[in-house]
Amino acid sequence: MAVYRRGYQRYTEGLTSHATRMMVMPRFTWEALLSQKFVLILLVVSMFWPLLCAGYIYLANHSELWQGLGGGFKKYFSINGDFFAIFMKAQSVYALILASVAGPGLIAPDLANNALPLYFSRPLTRGDYILSRMIVLLGLLSLVTIVPGMLLFAMQAGIAGGDWFWKHWYLGAAIFVGFTLYIVTVSLVAMTSSAYVKWRVVAGALVLAFFFLLAGAAEMVNSVFRVEWASTFNPGYALGAVWAEMLDIEIPDDKPGAFECAVFLIALSGGLLALLARKLRAVEVVK
Amino acid sequence: MNPGQQIWMIAKLELGRVFFSRRSFWVYLLAIFPTVIFLGHALDFSLKAKQWGGDRKTSAEALNQVQTGMTDEKVLQLLGKPINDSIRKRRIRRDQDPAAEKQPEVRRFMMYFDGKRRVDLRFEDGKLVSRNMRLLMNFEEDRKVYAGMFQFFYLRLGIFFGCLGIFINLFRGEMLDRSLHFWFLAPVKREVLLLGKYLAGLIAAALIFGTGALFSFLAMVLPQDASEVQTFWQTIGLEHAFWYVAAAMLGCVGYGSIFLAAGLLLKNPIIPAIVMLLWEGINGFLPGVLQKLSVLHYLQSLCPVPAPLPNDMPAVMKMLLAPAAPSSVPLAVLGLLALTVLVLLAAMQAARRLEINYGTE
Amino acid sequence: MSANEIVFDNVSKFYGDVLGVNRVDLHIPPGITSLVGPNGSGKTTLMNLMTGLIHPNSGVIHVRGLSPYAPEKLMKIMGYATQYDAGPRGATGFDFIFTGLLLHGFSKAEAQSRTWQAIERVGLTVAAKRKVAGYSKGMRQRIRLAQAIAHDPLVLILDEPLNGLDPLVRAETIALFRDYGANGRHVVLSSHVLQEVDVFSDQVILIANGMIVAEGQIKSVREEIHEHPSQFLLHCKDASRVASLLFAEAHVSEIKLAPEGDGLLVLTRNREAFSAALERIALSGIDIDGVIPTDENVDALYEYLIGGGR
Repeated sequence: MAVYRRGYQRYTEGLTSHATRMMVMPRFTWEALLSQKFVLILLVVSMFWPLLCAGYIYLANHSELWQGLGGGFKKYFSINGDFFAIFMKAQSVYALILASVAGPGLIAPDLANNALPLYFSRPLTRGDYILSRMIVLLGLLSLVTIVPGMLLFAMQAGIAGGDWFWKHWYLGAAIFVGFTLYIVTVSLVAMTSSAYVKWRVVAGALVLAFFFLLAGAAEMVNSVFRVEWASTFNPGYALGAVWAEMLDIEIPDDKPGAFECAVFLIALSGGLLALLARKLRAVEVVK
Repeated sequence: MNPGQQIWMIAKLELGRVFFSRRSFWVYLLAIFPTVIFLGHALDFSLKAKQWGGDRKTSAEALNQVQTGMTDEKVLQLLGKPINDSIRKRRIRRDQDPAAEKQPEVRRFMMYFDGKRRVDLRFEDGKLVSRNMRLLMNFEEDRKVYAGMFQFFYLRLGIFFGCLGIFINLFRGEMLDRSLHFWFLAPVKREVLLLGKYLAGLIAAALIFGTGALFSFLAMVLPQDASEVQTFWQTIGLEHAFWYVAAAMLGCVGYGSIFLAAGLLLKNPIIPAIVMLLWEGINGFLPGVLQKLSVLHYLQSLCPVPAPLPNDMPAVMKMLLAPAAPSSVPLAVLGLLALTVLVLLAAMQAARRLEINYGTE
Repeated sequence: MSANEIVFDNVSKFYGDVLGVNRVDLHIPPGITSLVGPNGSGKTTLMNLMTGLIHPNSGVIHVRGLSPYAPEKLMKIMGYATQYDAGPRGATGFDFIFTGLLLHGFSKAEAQSRTWQAIERVGLTVAAKRKVAGYSKGMRQRIRLAQAIAHDPLVLILDEPLNGLDPLVRAETIALFRDYGANGRHVVLSSHVLQEVDVFSDQVILIANGMIVAEGQIKSVREEIHEHPSQFLLHCKDASRVASLLFAEAHVSEIKLAPEGDGLLVLTRNREAFSAALERIALSGIDIDGVIPTDENVDALYEYLIGGGR
């Protein structure tokens, strides 16, 4: 029987790339999330509205199908910023629900089970950890927002032709940037609540409450004080106002404009990021 | 100890936790928020009255002479410098055909104050198109605003999320804290335990939100004109206060039972919470029969003043929104209580079957 | 069905697809009974089943004639010190026991006096007014025990009660079990170390993979252990010489080089004969630096019992 001396030898071979390491967590988390029935049902249901919108785009580009209905219908069948704004608002509801279901499980269990030291003892920084957790939500939420949005835009551009595209390319950019802004904000809210609330269930409720209660509180301030500025602090309105600016549609004169709303959203995201970093700092391993 | 005494004992033991837990802190914030806002409104009124009064005040007679169609220059001549004056130029949208839709190039907004009324003037291309006069402190309007706040914020969001926090905590929270076995190892029937915990949650929620409703109502009424307030109390004031507090408390009864049951029946009670939030949200757009299958319908039926529809609600939405005729007060109360009893019976069934399985949380 | 026994009649419990316990038939008489098995063998499942914290998928359980589905009756005669390391949030040791007694229906004065008695019995008087969350592992173990005995139950169920206790407290706790078990009451406790419980148990139930592999009085289980081949680690410089001498012994069935390379792993069917052989080898002038039993824990016995011997 051969007996070898055992001794600890450090691993000296090359490591996988930084990006590959960061994608390990999202890969496993996506797998776990997609195995949840509720998430799957939600993903399927969230495709109904884009399908309806696709049908609408088809109809709008085939005027021969509704010619008999009279010329008045033309204004209802136009694909413009208003159309995409309605589409984006509907899809954002699905994204919010998905974030409230998927988001709380991202950091809370790691904190509850003291898993963070394990992550940080690997070649992962706090920033990497936050980013990789965020990628989970960005990937999932973009399935119900950016992906169908860009597909619809591509469909419209494909049917309507190059002229339409060159005149309306900003709509595509607005869908992409607007949705990105939305899912980053929602993801930060979900991750912060997950980092500060130990229980998944409560963290999920907090995500919903954050958006609904702020909206309710802003509307309450508006109606009691007879003002409109409080809408700036309603994340739903603020995002809508920024979208409206990018989609080039009108915001009522007396409502807060896109600039104030963008400032609020940037401040909100910065604040949430600072809160997240603060919570995760205590267990970071100094490399 | 008979079951009644056991229920009360459990409720007493739980009450301290529900009332003074750090986790419950935000529930107090939700309950107190409307009061703070209405107190802020009263403060705002007195500050504005002071700020806009004196030199900046415009006489009521002069304001009454302003007619639509007048130019902005003429109005300035007549009324003098406004308290607020802002100009917005039209922005041509990319999709817009400037020739097809006639829209004003310049909009101007001016605001005057005559000591009691605030007057907002809107000019388009130099011509006055609208004149909006309203009392700075308008009791009638504030009561409608309160009704809207109470139904859209307090009932639909405040009590909803407050009860979600309090009642889900009672069982699911103990499961997550790994302390539910403490109760299950006591010589009490599971049904008794459930009722004891529900009673604790209910007392806490009803007290917190009932008091919140009462204080916010007082904060709305008391800063108004003294004579109007006196008349109000002598006529319908007490009745209104009573029904707002009752609706808040009954809201806790209904939502509390639902969230208690959700915490027992499901591992992730957020899903029913989302479904319920959406259901209660779209409730006003549903046929009358379906509208009656919601807690909110019965609570709104108890509210003494119907909630005004939000001003910025699109016309299509207003068309779709067809509130079912409110149920009569006895029917609303009985309907809510019946719903609560049914939900509690289902919760008892679930409590009997509930197992301690902390590992899977 | 005896009104004095704890009875499991063909009881099975599954957690989804995972087996908890399978077709358990047990009649546990009064006295001290130890459930012994490795981690994950189903000990806690059996205890949770008899206390009603979980319910069987099939079969029937009775504890002194009472069903676990009727906690209002069962918990009057039962005390359970669980392994769950948490009590009501923010409770002190005193509150933890006191509130439990109030739920039993004792008056405040009676509950207070019983609480102090129980706390004194486990030696936690000084820490009684401190929060349980700040207790050490051993203190939590003791406060759970105090809570289980505070209402003077007829059936005491204790999940790994000796874990984390220092030797002095351990001795006191064992004395408490003996005291309880001597008066016709049930003391059912769990452990994964057979040697730890065999000194004070009246009967043991060996459980592995959710199945009962042996039950009975401690004497018969000891005999099983005696028959069971034992493994020892011999530390010696001249390992090959010692190995050749030991191979000559009839009771030695296997010899391996120890993984560290500085000794031998020897499997013997007779401990006494093995001990005598070692003595002979040492007297012949060969250095033996140490002899360590490597399978004194109960896992080795299970392997033997389940696998039908080696």
